[in-house]
Amino acid sequence: MPGSILGTAVVRVEDPDLLTGRANFVDDLPISGVLHLTFVRSPVAHARVRSVDMADARAMPGVVAVFAAEDLGLPPYQGLMVLNPACERQPLATDKVRFVGDAVAVIAAESRAAAIDAAEAVVVDYDELPPAIDPERALAPDAPLQFEALGTNRAAAMHAGSDDDVLAGSDVVVRGRFENQRIAVMPMEASAIAVVPGDDGNGHDLTVYVSTQMPHGVANKLSETLGLPVETIRVIAPHVGGAFGGKPGLAAEHLVAVGVARHLGRPVKWIETRSENLVAMPHGRGQVQYVELGCKHDGTIVGLRLRIVGDAGAYAGFGGALALGPTRIMAQGVYRIPAISFDAAVAVTNTTPMGAFRGAGRPEAAALLERIVDLAADELDIDPVDMRRRNFLQPSDFPFTTVVGTTYDSGDYEAALNEALRHAGYDELRAEQRQRRMRGDRWQLGIGVSAYVEVTAGGAGSEFASVTIDTDGGATIRVGTSAHGQGHATSFAMIVADRLGIAMDQVRFVQSDTSEVPRGGGTGGSRSLQLAGNAVVGAADLVLERARQLAAQLLEANPDDIVMTDDGRLAVAGVPASALSWERVAAAAADANEPLAAEFDFRQEGATFPFGAHVAVVEIDVDTGAVRLLRHIAVDDCGRILNPLLVAGQQHGGIAQGVAQALWEQYVYDEQGNPLTSNLADYGMPSAAELPSFETLNTETPTPLNGLGAKGIGESGTIGSMPAVQNAVIDGLSYLGVRHIDMPCSPQRVWSAIRDARAGTLPPVWREPPPVFNSTRDTAGAGVAAEAADDIDI
Amino acid sequence: MAVLLPTTIDETLAALAATPAALVLAGGTDVMVDVNEGRRRPEHVVCLRRVETLRARSVENGTLVLGAATTYTELLEPEIAAVAPAITDAARTVGSPQIRNAGTIGGNLATASPAGDTLPVLLALGASVEIDGPAGRRRIALQDFLVGPKRSALEPGDLMIAVRIPIRRGPQEYLKVGTRNAMVIAVASLALVVDLDARTVGIGLGSVGPTAFLAAAAAEWLTPRLVWADDRVSLPQAADAATFAGLVAAAAQPIDDHRSTARYRTHAIEVMASRALRRAVQFGAPHRAAT
Ligand SMILES: Cc1cc2nc3c(=O)[nH]c(=O)nc-3n(C[C@H](O)[C@H](O)[C@H](O)COP(=O)(O)OP(=O)(O)OC[C@H]3O[C@@H](n4cnc5c(N)ncnc54)[C@H](O)[C@@H]3O)c2cc1C
Repeated sequence: MPGSILGTAVVRVEDPDLLTGRANFVDDLPISGVLHLTFVRSPVAHARVRSVDMADARAMPGVVAVFAAEDLGLPPYQGLMVLNPACERQPLATDKVRFVGDAVAVIAAESRAAAIDAAEAVVVDYDELPPAIDPERALAPDAPLQFEALGTNRAAAMHAGSDDDVLAGSDVVVRGRFENQRIAVMPMEASAIAVVPGDDGNGHDLTVYVSTQMPHGVANKLSETLGLPVETIRVIAPHVGGAFGGKPGLAAEHLVAVGVARHLGRPVKWIETRSENLVAMPHGRGQVQYVELGCKHDGTIVGLRLRIVGDAGAYAGFGGALALGPTRIMAQGVYRIPAISFDAAVAVTNTTPMGAFRGAGRPEAAALLERIVDLAADELDIDPVDMRRRNFLQPSDFPFTTVVGTTYDSGDYEAALNEALRHAGYDELRAEQRQRRMRGDRWQLGIGVSAYVEVTAGGAGSEFASVTIDTDGGATIRVGTSAHGQGHATSFAMIVADRLGIAMDQVRFVQSDTSEVPRGGGTGGSRSLQLAGNAVVGAADLVLERARQLAAQLLEANPDDIVMTDDGRLAVAGVPASALSWERVAAAAADANEPLAAEFDFRQEGATFPFGAHVAVVEIDVDTGAVRLLRHIAVDDCGRILNPLLVAGQQHGGIAQGVAQALWEQYVYDEQGNPLTSNLADYGMPSAAELPSFETLNTETPTPLNGLGAKGIGESGTIGSMPAVQNAVIDGLSYLGVRHIDMPCSPQRVWSAIRDARAGTLPPVWREPPPVFNSTRDTAGAGVAAEAADDIDI
Repeated sequence: MAVLLPTTIDETLAALAATPAALVLAGGTDVMVDVNEGRRRPEHVVCLRRVETLRARSVENGTLVLGAATTYTELLEPEIAAVAPAITDAARTVGSPQIRNAGTIGGNLATASPAGDTLPVLLALGASVEIDGPAGRRRIALQDFLVGPKRSALEPGDLMIAVRIPIRRGPQEYLKVGTRNAMVIAVASLALVVDLDARTVGIGLGSVGPTAFLAAAAAEWLTPRLVWADDRVSLPQAADAATFAGLVAAAAQPIDDHRSTARYRTHAIEVMASRALRRAVQFGAPHRAAT
């Protein structure tokens, strides 16, 4: 056998179409007679809707129809998961609007321009109500209520871990209040859907083209919500211009689009604009974290107490559940922590509903741990690296169950950190830092370290694949995942090439079409290679098994004696002249009326836990507070690597988004709930001009849970980089006495910290958490949301 | 909506005279944002794209004359950098390549945003604006043209023809603080222009007041403390630099908004004033370097 293709840097087969503009996105699809939808959205954060006057809009040229909620009569919308059933969202608002951007009516018109003009002619009479914008204040007893019937803005709350005083026995306790700020997901392609109602001649009554991570999820949710048999719905995701957690299945607007198309019996499409995307697509993160860590004098961790306020946005967006789910289950991180006490309270606020963003709850856990460990190192005067080394879980500990009940599969945390430090030249960097401090340089150096572990494929843990040998001797792969930039067509073809010896350019790849793929979980939570990849392995192996039987019949040999030749044919061992091509074997299968194909559902017994260590090096202008990221070194361990090029790609993109949160991005509202960062001029998304080229490395610690030994890599870069960069900024100023700066570490915030440190007026890093935590321990019913949150897989 | 596409300045003026309420459209990079957000609903639009003469650039008797429809990309040309380097520096910081290809100097001035990048520079250079319209052809000094926040001296039916910039020999600096490196609206900006012949200093400030404006008192304070030579200027008392920077900062009247706080803006102005001065002016006794 020639060497395996697995583990080699194979260039992406999907790129030529993308780079030459041949790839189709939803808006590119030629759908004849399609109507354009535009939503009429609330300009106020909280109001009673007294009336919606659509008469003028209906009379405008090109307008086919205008609908408010009662005209469509759609059932309530349900997102990826329900955090609190009392916070139900109508796809078009009925009695109240609850955030700026809440949709009140929808226009269907012959052109996009006509639809936009008509949307401006709809007159909505709002009776404004005071809003609750800040999640902590929303939980105060006197806060304006979003759902009067609920009687509180607390959508969910829970207590987990120890009931005891987990800090007892500590020599030192460090405390911090950290904001993990709200950020926008910002995929390059905003939301998009095209709906074609009616019989397609193939048994479907409804065809939906949608930019999504989860086509089967969309079909299932439409079926549940509208009471339609799922087999009558065909959902297709064409090329998708990024999602990052923002497109996890059905959106409220999708439900409206389907409602309008069915009502009018005409195809419709909704292509979101960028400014619309910034108010309508769920935002990510949004936690306020009260963190207390107890240690011995030598740095050994004694216990961790967490109290977390989660922001769910309007209608209890499912992102609010991430505090209860992933943040909780990853609360122990990479450390030996004997006791953890965890409480969380999640607020509904009059802001864009919260959802998932790359990492979805795990970056929040890693960030709070890495920040508090640095604070402890600073307090104990221990190097941050030593502090981590003293507390790491060790390779011999795995599989390891944490005190919050999470079972890690495998890991070697210290090896990853050592590799990152070695590559960074940590000691030299520290020496340079000392020199700059001694010289009193204007540009001071900051060195930040992070070590993280995260969880991937933590959801249902199963995925579908099939492999079919086509009559031309090539193969067709079908998978239930739905790549939207990740490169699955390349990875999965590599697997078939490896297992069956079929050249990659003869492998066809089918995904993201519910009529072509019977079931699937889509792509999210970094699940795809480990689940679908192993399903492809399983299906390919079944195909090979059957092929050997067929070849054995044709060659009148024993199936056990059939082997694959170096050039990818099937032959009797030791008799290469006997070799049969796949084409020949496929023909034999067709003759036997049983095509050469196999399906495989791969089920993984548990989640996998990628990990790694990052080192960030920043320069800080102490006159202005400007921060420059000089270097970023990432060692990410995603188990065994199938294609290092794709892994590096995920690392680079992930790191950019983590750095962006640490330094620039924040979604801001004013007190009335008006978004202040709803376009790209105001929202601090970086460009290439802000970022150095990252230094990406890997260690490889295979998981025992699947044959490929693979864990997820999609979110690691974000999880590792964000705390490393934040720590680097603070480290650079630690000589002045600065102990914490919340993200984003903007020049203004950094300079304020410098000024306050010099004046001896630094604000405290800790304050007592709000009273809501007095009652989280006896919240009944909170477990429902927590369990659902455990299964979340975005 | 009617869109007119004149090709000469006269045609443009005639079109504007016929419909003084018409909206002048140059690069559209400010106008279209307003239109998209529903802040403007023009009935008539007069588009400058085809008026080649509005993009003419020339030097007349020591004055650089830039047609109002000159784009930022055109401001990067070496001929302009050679005579007014701070304009090129400012143009380079504007938006992205797409915005620089479309956006014009006339549009920047007519929008009159306190954050407009060319404004502090043109103020520091002592530029004036040439306007034609119902009131006839006239020139207005830039500080008089900028009458308020996002308000200029343009009247309905007016067309800005050109910006006239005295060519000044000596160092020029433009510094901008923003929240990122590219595509960024200034949180605070400062231009400092030294004229070795007239022996004057101009300091323009952006994003720290209702309009861009001149820090005239600071310039007046500084000038007599400078020692002038033919090819350089020096500040014998280095300690004066701090006082100067403090005076410039004192001129700032910034506000808090989501991009930054007033306090940070004032501080940034102070840092930039001191940096710009250090780059433009030699510190210490003049004779030391004058060999
Ligand atoms: C993404 C983006 C980034 C930006 N970044 C920056 C930046 O970094 N720095 C910055 O300063 N600005 C920036 N801007 C704002 C804008 O690009 C500039 O103000 C630009 O100079 C406007 O020029 P324009 O030709 O596009 O003007 P237009 O939008 O065409 O016109 C603007 C105003 O000027 C009037 N006008 C234009 N020309 C004339 C004339 N000859 N006579 C009379 N009136 C006239 C118009 O009627 C209108 O009122 C940005 C804009 C965008 C959209």
